[in-house]
This record gives sequence, C-alpha cells and structure tokens, in this order.
Amino acid sequence: MRNPFEEFKGQATKRREIPLDQILRSKEETLSQILRGYENLLKNEAKDLVWLMQYSTVIKAYTIAEEGIKGIDYTAEDIEEFCYALDKTDQIPYLITGPAGVYISALCNHAKEDEITLRLQDLNVKINLLGYRLPEGKRLIVEGNVGDFTGIGLDGGELIVEGSAKNYTGAGMKRGRIVVKNNVGFNTGHGMTGGEIVVGGRIKGLGKIVGGKIYERDHLIFPSEEMKPFFF
Amino acid sequence: MACKNGYQRKVRDVYRFISENLYFNRPDIEVKGERYNSALLFGILTAIYGGKELIIGEPGLGKTTSAEYVGCLIYRYPLGTIWGSEVSGHPEQTEEKIVGRPHLGELNRGNEVVVWSNFVQIPVKIVDEINRLPETKQSMILDGVDRGNWEYLNEILINDEYVLFATANYQDKGTNTIIAPLVDRFDVLVESRHPGPNIALQIGRRSRLENPLRHPDFERRFHEVLRTQMPYEEKVSRLEELCDLFGEYLKEELGVEGLKKEERQEIRRELARVPVDLDANAFLRMVLAEFSFCHRFGQKRSVEQCAEGCHYTGYICYHVRNCASNRLPTSVIGYSQALAWFLEDDEVDIEHIRTVLPFALAHRVQWRDSYISKKEGEGRNDPLQIYLAKEATEEIFQRYNEQRDYLLEALSVAYQAFEGEEVTPLDGDHPLYEEIKKDIGSK
Repeated sequence: MRNPFEEFKGQATKRREIPLDQILRSKEETLSQILRGYENLLKNEAKDLVWLMQYSTVIKAYTIAEEGIKGIDYTAEDIEEFCYALDKTDQIPYLITGPAGVYISALCNHAKEDEITLRLQDLNVKINLLGYRLPEGKRLIVEGNVGDFTGIGLDGGELIVEGSAKNYTGAGMKRGRIVVKNNVGFNTGHGMTGGEIVVGGRIKGLGKIVGGKIYERDHLIFPSEEMKPFFF
Repeated sequence: MACKNGYQRKVRDVYRFISENLYFNRPDIEVKGERYNSALLFGILTAIYGGKELIIGEPGLGKTTSAEYVGCLIYRYPLGTIWGSEVSGHPEQTEEKIVGRPHLGELNRGNEVVVWSNFVQIPVKIVDEINRLPETKQSMILDGVDRGNWEYLNEILINDEYVLFATANYQDKGTNTIIAPLVDRFDVLVESRHPGPNIALQIGRRSRLENPLRHPDFERRFHEVLRTQMPYEEKVSRLEELCDLFGEYLKEELGVEGLKKEERQEIRRELARVPVDLDANAFLRMVLAEFSFCHRFGQKRSVEQCAEGCHYTGYICYHVRNCASNRLPTSVIGYSQALAWFLEDDEVDIEHIRTVLPFALAHRVQWRDSYISKKEGEGRNDPLQIYLAKEATEEIFQRYNEQRDYLLEALSVAYQAFEGEEVTPLDGDHPLYEEIKKDIGSK
C-alpha cells in the first residue's frame, strides 16, 4: 500500500508565523525600547536610587525623558504595557515613582493619540506625577488611583482620574482641566495659576492657589469668600 | 498550479453577468477578502467541476432559476431547452418520464428501441423538488446521478460529461426524506436565500416576458436534434455544434461567453492539477478524523451511540451519529481545487478548505438530537445544517491552529514509521493521533 503520509515526507516543520506573532514581536520590541529610555533616565537622574522631588529636578528629568522616547513608534497601549512592566521586577530593576511618572507623562504628551486611556486599577504602586505638562488637545484618562503631584504643570490638556489622587494634585497647573472622580489629598492646586480642578469626592486640603477654579462635589470652593487667591 | 489562461476570466464574467442581470441576491460568504453569494458561487463551481449540488430554500427564492442560469451560460444551452430537460419531483413520476421509454412505433414492429428523455441526454441535469419524489423512486436516479450511467430495457446511455443540480424545499406535507445514499452523492448543499426586501422589489419589477437567455429558434433546433433517433455520440456532437452557435449568439448579444466542451474538459484537467498544500492536507485529515472516529467502537456507525464519559466528548465525533463517507474528501478537495482555480490561486490552502467544507458537510452529517436541541436556538443567518457545519469547521480549525506544528511533526514521523524506520509515533490529544497509530500498526 502507498504510504498514506507521503506528502509529509521529510517535512521539516517550519514554525508558521501568524499575524498575532508579528504583532506580539513588534509590541515586545516597542516595549523594550521604552524600557531602555526609562533605564537611561534612572541612570542619569537617580544614580543612588534617590530622587528628590524639586522643581528643577522634574524639569531636567522631563527633558531626559523626552530625549529617551525620541524615535520610538508607540501607542497608548504600549504606555499601559509599560506601566504594568513597572510593577514587575523581572522587567524593571527598580521602580522610583517620581521619574516613572515624569517618563509616562512624556510618553503621553508625545503620543500619536489625542485621547489616551490607561487602565491602571490592577497596578500595585501608585504612580506620581501623571499628567505632568499635559498639553492642549490631549485627554488623559486614568482608571484607578494615582499618587502625588498628579497633573502638575498641566498645560491645557484634560486629565480625568477615575479613582483618587494624593497630595499636590494640579500643583502649578496653568490651564486645562483635572477631574478626579473620588478624593484628593493635601495641598491640592498649590501654586496653580489657571484652569480648573473638579473633585467628585473630598479634598483633604488646598494649597496656596494663585488662580483658576476648584470644585468639590459640585460646589465651587475656590475662589470663594473664605478662599482668596494667594500672591507669592 | 492554477493556469492563468483566460478561462477564469470567462467564468468570472458568467458569475458577474448572472449576479448583475439575472439572479439578484446578497453576497453571504467572504473568500479571501471578496464577497460572493454562496448559491451562485457554488453553482458556478459545480458547473465547472462537473459536480452535484443540492439547493435548498423556501419556495420561490430562486433555487431552480439559479441552477438554470448557470447551466445555460456555462454549457451554452438556451433556457427553453434546459426547461424542457428538467425532471420535476412528484409522487407520480415514473422511470419512463425520467430516463426513457420504449419507442412505440418500433415496439409495434417487434423492435426494442429506447427513446431517451432529454434529461439523460443533455449534460445539464436539473431535478426540481427532488424531495417530492417518493423514496422508492429516488433510487431510479441513483446510478445515473452518481456515474452518468442510464439504463432502460437492455440499453445503456453513458454521459461522458454532466452536472447535476437538484432543488429541495423544506419539509412539508408533500415532501419525503431524501434517502441517505442519494444525499451522500451530492457534493455540496447550498441555500438560495431571500434577497431582502429591497432586492426582492427589484426582482418584482422585472418583466416576466423577456429573458435574455430564451431563444425560441435555437430551442426548436435543439429539440429537433434531441428527438432524432441517431447514435448518442453523434447526437452529442450535433448538440455541441448548436451550442457553439448559441454561444456565438450569447457573446454577440449579451457580451458573455460560455465554455466550449473542450474548454470545460481542459478546465477540469487544470482543476485536477491544482496542488493541495500541507496545511490544507493536515487540516482535512483532522476534520475527517473527527467525523469518523470512535474510541469505543473503532469508527462512527449510525446504529451505535458513543458512551457518556468518553475521553473524546469534546470533539465533533461525540456530537454526530454517522460516519463521514469517502465521498466527503472527494467533494471537499474537488470543490476546493475549483475555488482555488476560480480565484487564480496557485494551490489549495486552508482558506479554500474552510470555505468549502461547511457546504460539503451540511447534508452529510447526522447530528445527535441532544446536540441539535442545544444549538438550534442560537442566533444565526444560515439554515441549521449549514450553521452547524460552519460551527464544526471553525471549532476544528481552532484546534488545528493550536496544534498545527505538532501535528505536522506527527504526520512526518508517521511517514517514517510507515516506511519501517525506528521512530516513536507522537502522542496527542486528538482522534487523528489515534488514527495515525492504527495506520502505522503501533496500536
């Protein structure tokens, strides 16, 4: 009888590449480029694993972050992937939430998409500085809670946090809008000069505010009779 | 490799002409990014492959007309001749009307001469409402539709080329079951569907009096040849001459070319040469395994029911009652080659198989009642039997994707084992691995 498997004679099975393989490979490549940029930022800014949150250090970190992401072709999904990679010690040797937040902000500010959604509910850490310098025309939606200094220096964009934020939310913001669905911490809006912060829950405390508006549970609490603009 | 010699263009022109001018319907399947109407596409494939197609659907939705148009244009017979050759299924139908009758004049002179029916003489055979034929009378056409052999008295007429279209209504008081051996002889089953209200209105507005495929003069000449008493071979060549003339008329008047007999034969040779790639080959093996395997009883048999708790309850074999016949792979490969040729692809790949398979399975599979009860309420666009076949195809395709590399490896090892080499056959969780072991005698 003829061999019923004749067609498979000497068939060295080649792995077939399906479109998903290509997508996954390109995703992995993009993520590793993003990770390299982040590691470079840490090498420059947090050599001793210490990063002091100062006006000048944030500006410098942001400049390095912008340099690091130059030429990377990424999407909003890749930013989210990076956020989760921050949680995994096998991918990130160490996580410092300040530079990480600056880096993510740079990624968001230079992303192709005008609207970016980061689903961070399952993240173990709370990232600081998300939405830093978010420019006009950009909308950043964060699902989950975020850390300190959220939306600082906001520059016309719209930041929506579907969760709670910590201290110094909207500090130094110039224009734009921050919406926090739940609660925010102390020094909210410290040094802000314009724009508005809308908080659905409670605000633990306001900072020294120069301009703009702040709402707490639909009530305008700044400017108000009790809270006048502060002049530095 | 599919030849690109212009025949494909002719056949696609026929498809386009029918869909734009004669048989209005919505596309309902997508093949490699292009959308087609399944009834029309499979009608065309049936005509070029020389296959047998069963067309189901509600009354008045174009089952017979789609077949008539395809047969008329591909084989270049006027519509009236096709009409005059159709067999209509009804309980009083007789062998004398379907196959042939004694020549009464000759019989009076003591000679036995058969007057063959038009149905058996022309290559385009249409049986309208086949399921209105009682089961006993369906057997009369069994051999003819299978091999093209027609017998009456002591005479035999053999068709060297033929194509069969049969239509069937859904079950009602006047219908009978199509007997299993006859059903299995059909290569594919398609549904001629309602085209939707907007297209239906367009059909309603068309003049009933004018059909561009009618030609009373040609029809009379065809009829004269068909009723003469000359040797069948001579009659076939006379008919072909008329077909050539009618083909010229079609080309000049309608701008659509049919196919000459030698062109159809050349196309069939080309179809047979279209290779089947390894993925398509392995996938089809997987399909056949699931539709024929039974762990407990050795193979599926419609008289046996597999037991609860079998290891293979997750596979299709658990949901079906009968065993896939050997005609199934023949139909699937033949129609897949025809489809690949039609699309001008170089070989049959898994996409061609996936497209054809549900239509080749739909009428052949007897599903278990429990499975039908579970699935019949699910939302769908196809009649239940095509829907279930499509679901099964996709389910097996998913399994194939999951274990493709390993399966190819297993088949490659099986080749070596069959040649007597000292290799261990690969184990896997699919009926096909069991079947491989049976073939190489290791179990």
